[in-house]
Amino acid sequence: MSHLNQKHHEDHEHGTVPILNVRDLSVSFDKQEVLKDISFSVNEGDVLAIIGPNGAGKTVLFRVLIGLIPFDGEIKWREDARIGYVPQKLFEKAELPLTVKEFFILKSKNLFFKDKQLVESIFHELESIDLKPEILNQRLINLSRGQLQRVLVAWAILGHPNVLLFDEPTAGIDIIGEGSIYNLLHKLQDERGMTVLIISHDLNIVYRYADKVLCLNKEGLCFGEPKKALTSEQIERLYGESAFYHHQH
Amino acid sequence: MYFDNQLILILTSGLFTALAASFLGAFIVVKRMALVGDVLSHVALPGIGLALLINIDPIYGAAAFLLVAAFGTWFIEKKTALPPDAIIGTFFTATLALGVLLVPNQELFESMFGNLFAIGFYDAVVIVITSIIIFVLTLILSRRLTLSIAAPDLAKSIGAKPDNSYLGFLLLFALSVALGIKLIGSILMGALTILPAVSARNLSWSLKSFLSFSVILGVLMTGLGIIIASAFNFPPGPSVILSGILFFIISLFFKKS
Repeated sequence: MSHLNQKHHEDHEHGTVPILNVRDLSVSFDKQEVLKDISFSVNEGDVLAIIGPNGAGKTVLFRVLIGLIPFDGEIKWREDARIGYVPQKLFEKAELPLTVKEFFILKSKNLFFKDKQLVESIFHELESIDLKPEILNQRLINLSRGQLQRVLVAWAILGHPNVLLFDEPTAGIDIIGEGSIYNLLHKLQDERGMTVLIISHDLNIVYRYADKVLCLNKEGLCFGEPKKALTSEQIERLYGESAFYHHQH
Repeated sequence: MYFDNQLILILTSGLFTALAASFLGAFIVVKRMALVGDVLSHVALPGIGLALLINIDPIYGAAAFLLVAAFGTWFIEKKTALPPDAIIGTFFTATLALGVLLVPNQELFESMFGNLFAIGFYDAVVIVITSIIIFVLTLILSRRLTLSIAAPDLAKSIGAKPDNSYLGFLLLFALSVALGIKLIGSILMGALTILPAVSARNLSWSLKSFLSFSVILGVLMTGLGIIIASAFNFPPGPSVILSGILFFIISLFFKKS
C-alpha cells in the first residue's frame, strides 16, 4: 500500500497535509468520560484500524468525527475531505416500507424532483460493490446482514466521498461474508484511493489491511503501524484475558 | 340530504383536509407517534374556547394553540430526552382541563366531533388553500424526513438536519389538525391522520406505494364518511372514522408480510 500512498502524495497538492488530524479529543456523557485525550492523524489513502474492547468508545469516536456529538479538543478534517459513513447497523423500524432503491434516493440533494444523475450512479456503485441491480426492488428489511452491509457501503460511497468510516458489526456476518467485505473495502481503497477508517473486532484484519492502528479503551493506548504498535503486551493491556482468543482466530 | 351547495362545500373541504392529514399521517405512523398525533389534536380545545370568548373564528384559536404545543413538544424533547408522548400527555391534560372550562357545552361537542353546517364558503377557501400548502411542504420535506426516521445518523452525516425536519413536520401536522376541527372535530382528527396510514401500511410494498395509498384511502374514507353523515344526519367526525375503520378491516385481508 505504501507505493499507492506515494503515488497519491505526488498526485495531490494537499498530499502532505494529513486528511484528518485529531488532537486531545475528549467526549463525556453526563459528566462521565467516554473518550479521553485521543490524538492521531490519518494520511490520505491510508487505512486506519480502530480496535478496542466493547464499550471502549470506538463508535463514539466515529460519531464525534462526523459531527454528531459535541466534544473537547480538536478535530481537523482537510478542506477537501468528503466523508461516507457506514454505521454498524441501520434501524429496526419494520414499519417503514423502504425499498433499497428508495433508500438510495433519500441521499439525493434534490428534495423532491427526480435525481437522474444519482439514479445512474446507484447502478455504478452497486456494480463496484458486487451487488446485482435486482436488489434495488427488494425491501430493505428483507435483506440479509451481509447484503445490508453492502448496501450501506454502497450508500456511503454514493457521490464519491474520499473518506470512508466503516463501523464493523460486532457479530452476525458469516466468515465468507466478512472476508469479502474486506476485499471490497480494499478494492475501494486501491481503485479510488479512498482513505478508510475502520472499527474492527478482528486483529487478523488489522494486520492484513491496516496501515495504522489506533488502540482505544476510553483513552488512546497505542497508535502506529500495526506490527510495531500492536505488541502482544499491548494487546493484553487492551483486551485483558481474552487477548489470546482474539489473536488466534 | 342537505341542499347541494352545502354538501359540495363540505365535501371539498373534507377531501382537501384528508389529503394533507393522511399524507402527514403516514409519517406519524412510521415514526411511532400515532398516540402523539392523537393527543396533540386535543390541545386545540382551549384554543377554541379562547377564540369563542374573544369572538374570533375558532379555527385560528385552535391553530395558535396547536402550533405552540407542537413547538413546545419539539423543544422539550430536544432539551430533556423525555419521550414525545409523555410530553404531549402533559400538555394534553392541562389543555383538556382548560378546554372544558373555557368552551361552552354545545361548541365543545362540535369542536370534539365536528359539525356539517359549520363550514361556510370562506372557511372552505381557507381550508383548501392551506391544505394544498401543507401537502406541498410535506412533499418537499418527505425525503429528509424519511431519512431522519430511518437513520438519523446517516441523515446528519450528509449534512441534513433531522431536528429541523422534525420541527417542520410537527408544525405542519398541528396546522392540519386545526383545519379538520370544524368538520371532523378535534377528538377524531388524530384518527383521520392515523387510519389511512395504518391501512396503507398493510397494502404497501414500498415507500411510494405507502404514501400514495395513505392519501388515496384518506380521501376515500373522508368522502364516504361525509356522504353517509349528510344522508343520515350524523355528525361527520364519527362517520368518517367508521368508514376508515371499514377500509382498515378490508386492508387486513391484503396484508403483506
